[in-house]
Amino acid sequence: MNYREFLTRLRLNRDDLRLAITCFAGGVLLAIMTGPEGSLQDPLYSVKHALFSSHVWGFLIFGIALGAVSIYRRKLRDGLLTTRRETPRRSIRKSVADYVAGTGMVARVVTFVVALVAALLVADYTGPYVPNKLSFHRIINQFGHTRTYGYILVVFWLLNALRVNARPRNDTVRLPAWMRSAPAKIAGGALGGLFFALCADPWLPLSFRFKFLTFSGNTNHAFFHHWTTYLWTFAGLVVGLRAANLERRAATVATTRRRPARKVTVSTNTRLALYAGGMFVAIEVPKWLSPFWQETIFQQIGIFCLLAIGLNVVVGFAGLLDLGYVAFYALGAYTNAYFTNALPIHPPFVLNAFYSIPFAILVAMLSGVLLGLPTLRLRGDYLAIVTLGFGEIIYVLASNLTNITDGAGGTGATGSFSVNVPGLHFALNGQALGDDLNFYYLLLAFLVPILFLFNSLNHSKVGRSWAAIREDEVAANSLGINSLKYKVMAFAIGASTSGVAGVLSSAKLGSLFPSDFAVQLSITVLILVIFGGMGSISGVLIGAAFIGWLLQYLIFHSFIDYQDADKYMYLGAILILTMIFRPQGMLPSRRRQREFHDADEGLGTADAMGAASEGPLS
Amino acid sequence: MIDDPIFEVTNLTLRFGGVTSLADVTMAQRRGELLSVIGPNGAGKTSLFNCLTGVYRPQEGSITFRSTRRDPVDIVGWQPHRVNKLGIARTFQTSRMFNALTTFENIKVGVEARQKTGPVGAMLHLPRTRREERESDDRTLELLDLVELTHRMNTTADSLPYGDRRRLEIARALGTSPELLLLDEPAAGTNPSEKLELAALIRKINAEIGTSILLIEHDMRLVMSLAERIYVLNFGQVIAEGTPAEIQQNPDVIAAYLGTSESEGAANE
Repeated sequence: MNYREFLTRLRLNRDDLRLAITCFAGGVLLAIMTGPEGSLQDPLYSVKHALFSSHVWGFLIFGIALGAVSIYRRKLRDGLLTTRRETPRRSIRKSVADYVAGTGMVARVVTFVVALVAALLVADYTGPYVPNKLSFHRIINQFGHTRTYGYILVVFWLLNALRVNARPRNDTVRLPAWMRSAPAKIAGGALGGLFFALCADPWLPLSFRFKFLTFSGNTNHAFFHHWTTYLWTFAGLVVGLRAANLERRAATVATTRRRPARKVTVSTNTRLALYAGGMFVAIEVPKWLSPFWQETIFQQIGIFCLLAIGLNVVVGFAGLLDLGYVAFYALGAYTNAYFTNALPIHPPFVLNAFYSIPFAILVAMLSGVLLGLPTLRLRGDYLAIVTLGFGEIIYVLASNLTNITDGAGGTGATGSFSVNVPGLHFALNGQALGDDLNFYYLLLAFLVPILFLFNSLNHSKVGRSWAAIREDEVAANSLGINSLKYKVMAFAIGASTSGVAGVLSSAKLGSLFPSDFAVQLSITVLILVIFGGMGSISGVLIGAAFIGWLLQYLIFHSFIDYQDADKYMYLGAILILTMIFRPQGMLPSRRRQREFHDADEGLGTADAMGAASEGPLS
Repeated sequence: MIDDPIFEVTNLTLRFGGVTSLADVTMAQRRGELLSVIGPNGAGKTSLFNCLTGVYRPQEGSITFRSTRRDPVDIVGWQPHRVNKLGIARTFQTSRMFNALTTFENIKVGVEARQKTGPVGAMLHLPRTRREERESDDRTLELLDLVELTHRMNTTADSLPYGDRRRLEIARALGTSPELLLLDEPAAGTNPSEKLELAALIRKINAEIGTSILLIEHDMRLVMSLAERIYVLNFGQVIAEGTPAEIQQNPDVIAAYLGTSESEGAANE
């Protein structure tokens, strides 16, 4: 039997073979490029190592699997394959949910034990006893730490959400009346905030124990002495008040009003659990990272997230291709340098980095508006070129205005954040190793509110108007939407986010070099947005976190002697793979997904930016 | 000439390079009237719409719009969104929906464009934003009822059948509370039963809401049954004006429009 017959028997043709070989070659290439584990100084690369490296095998298997999946999907799409199963396949999630929701005693006990063990394992793995993982004694010891109860709560909350989702629609369980009353909700909120403080306060040391629950003593170790305890309690109280108020309003507003059904994929319960769990993990996990990763999680992942969230407003929401985005980041950073007296020109008054944030927002926003007003009349590619030029102008100015910015040699030391009010004193130092985590928490304090603000912006009049302009600018104008105004608005909002990121970053970096603000950074941020899914806040966050992590990971796992500039090679590969296999991004927004779907069907236009169609008016 | 006009177009001329699209067009519409503009392909009907809505800027002439809310004003050179705010809304010849938005959102976008909520209010859910959201939701639901698309409000615009899309486009334009509604071939591509529904809808908008309607349509039966008065355009010039009965008798119109094939014209009647 020659190979042709063999292929026919497997129902493969030469195109399939070509696809398989391409994918396999891709896997080989990735394996060679990233190599087996080794350090920067001593890459452990030899054939012997390669043969026994799980890393290399991982990529080879990845290549093979990618080829197989691609061929399988193509066959399915072309109708060349009939699925053997007549009944639709049940998803794993559904099966798990059904099991969890089961009323049998065995199912309940098994679920309870599994969940408890899972929570304990997570607590143990992220706990302080790094060398001795998984010993029974240590795991039991986790009960002594408050943070363990946070993990347990999150796991059980998620389980409960699964149960609720798996239940039939009409089978709703109402809480007893007293639990639904307003005072219970408010008190519950406050207690929840206190509990959150106990489990997840960033100021708590990793080995926090119950004996620290005192009013006096070392500020770090006296729970009731520390101001953040009251901050979290207050935040919980606000949430409780809001919940009580929502209930009251729902009762007064006529319930008969028809509303457009929001397509809800997860229940409110699940969403709250995800938020709380996400916050908990975002606060707890960085504590046990090594100093290198603690710096990474601020400088690479955190700043990337903030930048990407801002660019997402411009590119994802409003559909404007901005290639000079980093210019606003530079403006924010240099504004902070100016007001903290790090430049050759001196400010009228020297400020703490906290106070230079409003100025940075103002400068970035104004320059966004000034750049936007003349250029946003342009469309698509022209706008991209003009913004690219603006980015270069700022870069060249920063390099060459030596008497203002100190030029390529870098500025003096920029000031950092400090607080000095009665009862609360701290000063962050970008160069101090231990302060990386504090910078990260500070960034989190900016990022989390911004996420919520931008989310509600996207689901408001403004977000809908952006979507309308993106889809069809002529039609949007005919409805009284001033498209220039909305585009400038998107530009200004994106720019000010970037300005905040600039201040945070400059306070950490110490001194600024123009090369930190080169055009490559703009492109990198754009890749984060495209990879994550334009217009989707969670997608962009995940994209930024993943790529930020990957670039740092490669430093230690790259077989070719890793140079900083190499990262653009990997970024390019990521962009190409995204465009081939998932052009809508990892977690696309629902609106964007529909646009891509329409473009496939030949309806409407969705080029990379989803620019409004410029077809003839008629 | 016409008492209580909603708009008057005087000596309007629009050229694209050497091509004259509209030549010295003068016309007027009475407030509350259902007026129609007909003419062969390329006669300048859509160009007239584009001048009225600010998409094109005519070289000569004036367009005076008499809103009930303010003094008469010449809208030549105004931008489309300002013209809409003044009280002129339009639909398009080829349907231009926001395909990724739902039916509900499509209408709401138009309703909201008049509200004052800005980005800060939208981010923080300020009281005014919440009030305006409720108002625009209510108004959108009313409009959905009017065009009988309530059962479709959660489907995306691209999955609507063609006839529904035309009605959605009318509802979206109405959402901006116009005094004058320009309909550019609303019945193009719809089937006979949908045409009947559409005619009823247009009549209803005109009679119950009191919106003045300017209609471009190729379907003669529809135009003759709906319009109170008709302007006929040919090569950018107004060649006739009058009631449907007068237009059908007008020899110029028959020559220019129906006359190319009289038997076909008769068949259309």
